[in-house]
Amino acid sequence: MASPVHAAPKPSRWRRSEGLRALVWMSPFLVGLMVFLIYPLIATVYYSFHRYDLFTLEFIGLDNYAYVLKDERVWQSATNTLWLVVFMVPAQLLFALGLALLLTKIKTGAAIFRTIFFLPSLIPLVAGTVAFVFLLNPGTGAVNQVLAAVGITGPDWFGDPAWSKPSLTMLAMWGVGNTMMIFLAALLDVPKHLYEAASIDGAGAFRQFRSITLPMISPVLMFSTITGVIYALQYFTQAMIASRVASGSTDSAGSVFTPGYPDGSLLTLPQHLFQSGFRDWSMGMASVHALMLFVAAMVFTLILLRQFRFAEEAR
Amino acid sequence: MRFIPLAVAGLSALVLTACTTGKEAGPSLGAPKPSGASSQALPPATLELWHGFSTDAEVKAFEDAIAGFNKKFPQIKVNAKKGIQDDQITAAIRGGKAPDVAASFTTDNVAQWCSSGAFQDLTPVIKSDGIDLTVLPAASRSYTEFQGKRCMMPLLADAYGMFYNKALMKGEQPPKTLSELTELTKKLTVRDADGNIKVAGFMPSTQYYENSPSHLGPMTGAKWYNEDGTSAIGSDPAWKELLTWQKDLVDWFGYEKLEKFRKSLGDEWGAEHPFFEGKVAMVLDGEWRTAMIANDPEAKSLDYGTAPLPVSDTKPDLFGSGFTAGSVIGVPRGAKNPQHAWELVKHLTTDTESLVTLSNALRNVPTTKAAAESPNLSDDEKFKTFLDIFSHPKTSTLPANINSVFNQDVFSTFLIQWEKGAVKDLDAGLKDVDKRINDKMKLSGG
Amino acid sequence: MSTTITAPPATAPARRGGTSPRDSRRRKTLMWIATHSIAIALAIMFIAPIFFVALTSLMTDDQALTSELWPQSWHFENFADVFAKSKLLQWTLNTFIYAGLATLFMLLSSVPVAYALARFRFRGRKATLLLVITWMMLPPQVVAVPVFIIWARFDLTGSLWPLILPLLLGDVYSIFLLRQFLVTIPRDYTDAAKVDGCSDFKTLIRVILPMARPAIAAVALFSFFYCWNDYYGPLMYTDPGDQGTWTLSLGLATFKAFHSVAWNLTMAATLLVTAPVIVVFFFAQRVFIEGVTLTGVKG
Repeated sequence: MASPVHAAPKPSRWRRSEGLRALVWMSPFLVGLMVFLIYPLIATVYYSFHRYDLFTLEFIGLDNYAYVLKDERVWQSATNTLWLVVFMVPAQLLFALGLALLLTKIKTGAAIFRTIFFLPSLIPLVAGTVAFVFLLNPGTGAVNQVLAAVGITGPDWFGDPAWSKPSLTMLAMWGVGNTMMIFLAALLDVPKHLYEAASIDGAGAFRQFRSITLPMISPVLMFSTITGVIYALQYFTQAMIASRVASGSTDSAGSVFTPGYPDGSLLTLPQHLFQSGFRDWSMGMASVHALMLFVAAMVFTLILLRQFRFAEEAR
Repeated sequence: MRFIPLAVAGLSALVLTACTTGKEAGPSLGAPKPSGASSQALPPATLELWHGFSTDAEVKAFEDAIAGFNKKFPQIKVNAKKGIQDDQITAAIRGGKAPDVAASFTTDNVAQWCSSGAFQDLTPVIKSDGIDLTVLPAASRSYTEFQGKRCMMPLLADAYGMFYNKALMKGEQPPKTLSELTELTKKLTVRDADGNIKVAGFMPSTQYYENSPSHLGPMTGAKWYNEDGTSAIGSDPAWKELLTWQKDLVDWFGYEKLEKFRKSLGDEWGAEHPFFEGKVAMVLDGEWRTAMIANDPEAKSLDYGTAPLPVSDTKPDLFGSGFTAGSVIGVPRGAKNPQHAWELVKHLTTDTESLVTLSNALRNVPTTKAAAESPNLSDDEKFKTFLDIFSHPKTSTLPANINSVFNQDVFSTFLIQWEKGAVKDLDAGLKDVDKRINDKMKLSGG
Repeated sequence: MSTTITAPPATAPARRGGTSPRDSRRRKTLMWIATHSIAIALAIMFIAPIFFVALTSLMTDDQALTSELWPQSWHFENFADVFAKSKLLQWTLNTFIYAGLATLFMLLSSVPVAYALARFRFRGRKATLLLVITWMMLPPQVVAVPVFIIWARFDLTGSLWPLILPLLLGDVYSIFLLRQFLVTIPRDYTDAAKVDGCSDFKTLIRVILPMARPAIAAVALFSFFYCWNDYYGPLMYTDPGDQGTWTLSLGLATFKAFHSVAWNLTMAATLLVTAPVIVVFFFAQRVFIEGVTLTGVKG
């Protein structure tokens, strides 16, 4: 069976039925597309003009939009989400690339180092975040104890709005193993003879990196950037848990937890949406937030896809 | 292919109508079925009850009270779930997974629950069962209803006052005014060589356990809302007085030192509570803390006293009053056995014996007059302070508002900025709080 | 990991002239020391959090609140306490059911779609692919409101089903990755199968699946891990009042607050949640690394 036969099958009959067959194969997916993407998008627009708490539905025109435009928390959360895209994603990528490059130079114990660097990415997100908040506790956490031992007064990490996002970035860098592995594989895929040739031409390490390594791994870099941005746009779990644990305010039953602690510095757009929709039950307002998120995601998708296409064509 | 968009739109419209014409809420209360004598004949059922109690002693006390109900209604099994918070209750009701009975520690959500219909209006069954609501004090009656809809019953009331650790007081009496509190705090605070706090006289941080603006407000008699329901936070000078006092004290500690200390403290509901451990000399707390201290194997030997909160120097007549609210209990929309559920609510909130048992065990303030006067209510000087605060004429509660949680959150968020010194202009900041509360009010159709 | 890209070929120094082989060896040694010290420093930083968490998990609850880092006395019973105080086993089971069923359903539904997108030529194929990519980019929260309402309507909120059932209709991320892999399989193989009279279904089972095994393993692994880690989904849909419906993420997130416990037990719980993943990793290290690498390169 494996031997390829080159006598082409009658194309016309096959072709004509291919559309129909594809439809059959994909029909469950198309139903899913309708139910879980197309319909919800339309419904989100519809709800955004209403006051809806799952019990009563009332048309209120553009009131939700007017409120959201004035809502400081919306802008704060949008800025925070943008911060993650602009700072956290590059920090993660550069760190992963650095680790991968380092691993290619390691001669002894490479496998052990690789395992150690990869391991934290396996730790469940919630567990990792809870642990980080504990270790970065200004009063009792290990990090500030260690810093104090060398004479540095550590900041209030997750309690200080200026430090909370950098703290999360550190957490993200700690769990960068997946990306590192991908980069490592890409780096090892670069044909060795290219470097040898460059060396003979007298190219230094930096020039070799710039003119050989970078172009060779650029598709992988691009893919990781895209997934990184997608991930940053839906960033929810770590920020929510970090605020929750760091604030300690949830510790009282009956108290209501508002995400974003400290000072809303960890409030991301998805969290704000969740809060207004599924804690305050203002489905209309949450729909406006959802549409904002939708627009943001589409803009980034277009930018990245265009970049991607340029990169593809340039090759 | 051209008609696909059209088909999608049509389909969506169809699904939308199907999805928004709210689902049937299940059986509801008020069917003309009088309880009382005939209600003993209710068919057997299992009730799901959600409550917020979480410590072992509290959970046991609450289950004892339920056991009392079971004696009356042996055919009804009650399945109690502990540690449930308000947003979980709301989420379950909205999602159509409501329990039969739900109790909350706070009154924050009562307005929203009543007005949206998340909890069923109890008026018809109260009427048919002939319950006289005047046995409840006016404050308790007001925080369990909203705009004429009584969707909750007061379970037990809470009053807030001051606890002080006698060993740490250095022979001083508890303060009566804010300036005395400041003075005493400075005197009782202990720091180490690096200036880190070891013992705080009083924690002025609004982020500290019970120090929410709603609990602190009564110290200067600060008002939350105007007559028309708009925010009064920016216009009532009492808030400014309170906040200026509070900020001065925070600055005396140093915000960073204070935060570092606060974050090293144990859980509010655990055995490592800083008051138990002698890390703070004076705390604002609710009456139930007396029971928690008594039930804690290590803290029960603590030598402490209770007093009303200190008040504004310019309003000495406020002394003796405080903040009150209470736990509330009701029957959510979507309860599977609303009639059974009502019997349980009725028993827990009006049965004198049950209330006294609960009050003795939890050290909460009983809400009905009969229970408050019951000879079985155990006498205790430390607890008596709170009974007095509860019945003080100037004692206030947080008025019901559909956005109560949001409003408090806006204010608290502002207060964190204020505490750390990020607010340059207090008046403008408070005006902004007003505006945000009022904007939200308008959107909610209030 | 034997590859190295740095060591300059022996001929290079000679060409540049000045440097003797001795210098080059010294430079190599210095390089070795430099890279390895950096790696060791980083490795310590990567391991340290786990180490401190482990130490805290063995302290008394009082000591966990102090700034001391080394336990005064060792309390291994903390781990037993976690089981006694919480529903850790139930949460683990729920998480397993969620992740297992979701992964199974995802495979059943996504492989055929990826197959169709990779193999059939039909009108609208590009458009479908574009939709898949767009959907993949979209944060799940964008459609959260109407989707929640649908599930509430079907009375399925309060369970994990709203997270599991949709996977019967395909998962875009997996479809995309599988499709990217499947297009690299030469057409000759499938054409040959067709000539032999195989139906599409038979071609998929007999030709495509065996060849796509690494890709399938990779998406399965990813799907499983995504569900295992998922916090947002269970937070939306499980019954907030019934801990019996929770998953590990959810239970751990509220562990400290809900059980009024101190950090020692919280850290013990953190370790207990992490342990199974690490154990699985050490048994199936190769599958993991291949899977991760594959997704990156095929994307």
